[in-house]
Amino acid sequence: MNPKKPLEPTRRAWTKTAGVTLATVAAAGTLESCSQPSARVQAWAPVSIYRAATYSEELYDLVRRIIAEHALNVSGKRVMLKPNLVEFDSQTVINTNPKLVHAALEAFRAAGAADVRIAEGPGHRRVTLDLADASGYFATVPGFESHFTDLNLDETTKVDLVRPQSKLDSLYLPNTILGCDLLVSMPKLKTHHWAGATLSMKNLFGVVPGGVYGWPKNVLHWAGIPQCIADLHALFPKTFAIVDGIVGMEGNGPIQGTPRAVGVVVAGASPVSVDATCCRIMGLDPARIGYLQLTAGEQNLGEELIPQLAGLRLSR
Amino acid sequence: MLYSEDLLGRQNADGGWSYFRGGSWTEPTCYALLALAASGTGHEAEVRRGMDWLKRCQRPDGGFAPRESVKESTWVTALPLLLPPRTQGFDRAKAEAWTLEQTGRESGWVYRLRSWMLGADSSTGSMSFDGWPWYPGAAAWVGPTALSVLALQKLVKRGGGPASSSDLNKRIDQGLNYLLARRCRDGGWNHGSTRALGYDSDSYPETTGLALLALHGLNNPNVNEGLARGEQHLAACQSSEGVSWLRLGLGAHGRAPLPSAAGRVPNQGEDGSNITETGTSRPAMHGGVMEIALARLADAAQVGKNSFLDV
Repeated sequence: MNPKKPLEPTRRAWTKTAGVTLATVAAAGTLESCSQPSARVQAWAPVSIYRAATYSEELYDLVRRIIAEHALNVSGKRVMLKPNLVEFDSQTVINTNPKLVHAALEAFRAAGAADVRIAEGPGHRRVTLDLADASGYFATVPGFESHFTDLNLDETTKVDLVRPQSKLDSLYLPNTILGCDLLVSMPKLKTHHWAGATLSMKNLFGVVPGGVYGWPKNVLHWAGIPQCIADLHALFPKTFAIVDGIVGMEGNGPIQGTPRAVGVVVAGASPVSVDATCCRIMGLDPARIGYLQLTAGEQNLGEELIPQLAGLRLSR
Repeated sequence: MLYSEDLLGRQNADGGWSYFRGGSWTEPTCYALLALAASGTGHEAEVRRGMDWLKRCQRPDGGFAPRESVKESTWVTALPLLLPPRTQGFDRAKAEAWTLEQTGRESGWVYRLRSWMLGADSSTGSMSFDGWPWYPGAAAWVGPTALSVLALQKLVKRGGGPASSSDLNKRIDQGLNYLLARRCRDGGWNHGSTRALGYDSDSYPETTGLALLALHGLNNPNVNEGLARGEQHLAACQSSEGVSWLRLGLGAHGRAPLPSAAGRVPNQGEDGSNITETGTSRPAMHGGVMEIALARLADAAQVGKNSFLDV
């Protein structure tokens, strides 16, 4: 893998291998059964793949389990949940399902977080509260407005990028995100017609304020989409990821693709390893996803280097 | 009147308005000032304080920042230019000159040559016209183009300014052609991306209303299709801001809201102190300054005073 020359991802529908992969996931192994990384190569942070067939009440227990198994200490911390809200539609799979987000809100509160907020800055539709309402967030999350911050319209601070890979050297970013102790990226499992996949790292485009950069946040496109994803990841490297893969989207994502029942929630403390795992679930080679290649650098994204902490096992 | 009281109650101590709460931003401040102006005389002290705040957002290059703490001029520069001439306090000529200088990055010859060499589809002419970007250095989009066209149209009607009327009209024509070229296949407008990798994109209510507003007075089959799509959007719109933009856009072409949509016009709570959630058949209002101001402007337009078009 040559990090200086990222490969362009091939847009395609998820192959049948994704289904086969997940079928074998049911015959779950344990962490002990996973291949251990080579002593010469650093392993990525572990990832968990959990079975979740529907958006049921069981999600509330599931997110508690995620917090416990990943030993997330959020006691007294400010936690920011960042779902992916794109379009006015509660019937399709464009947006992160509000049930999972509410489950996370409740679980992080129960884990002792001092404050848990939901925050998003959509890139297409301007009126975020209307979008959240139409997406079922008001109906699912009691008192939604009091827990929500529109990142497009938040107070901002200009932040210098850390060794930028894009053409940008700084970005105005929302103070709500800059001030939180734990950012939890909660994307939908989707293919993306330009980035290859839109997962926990691409989801960070939503922290770039539309109130400054517009709708869509076209500055990021001109500066290079994979490179900007890598730059945002460098600003928020400790982001925890919980991916809504219960029903994902394949084909012409992130908006016009078709629903695909996958039945998983994928979680982990390394967005890179979570996204690489999600790519494999979708039948995409992570090494062909430009932004993953950029963030991984010289470090190999081989499946054997991404330990699986608990739950289902991605077969090889 | 109730709208005015609500807006006045939301004015920040610094004179500006926020979108919902918190610090002042240029966009809601301009719409609040436009809505107050549409309400007639009065509120001079509040308008003056608003203009004083707005003046602080004008940058040395003549453009306006979206808020005081952002040190960049952006698309919001078109908004102060929509305010009535009697609202003084900023350097209008410099703002006009800044606006005229802005084009989408795709307008540059390098990009056009590259697109041509890569075999980009030029059948729609969508790359042939100069629109306006949200942010300097990025591509042109429907929202900032429509607002900049409206601002320049006002400038032509008023006379004066840094450019000749001929130059202004050329630029306005570019903007109008940009909007016509960026119409979605379904008839309306989204932000300006009509196709992506071979797939047609859907239009949005708010951008359809805004584009129709800028295209007022054009008798064109494309505009007629846009009007039809706008009426469809209005019947199903889930956003009160979307409803207001559609009312403004359709009204600018002499189209009154359809009877089925009339009940969707946002209403204010009876106590007048706040905007309350409306009935089940109407989009909810969340109490944002933009919602209130745009609803006021749409109401005024419906009785003959369109603040985006009148000088």
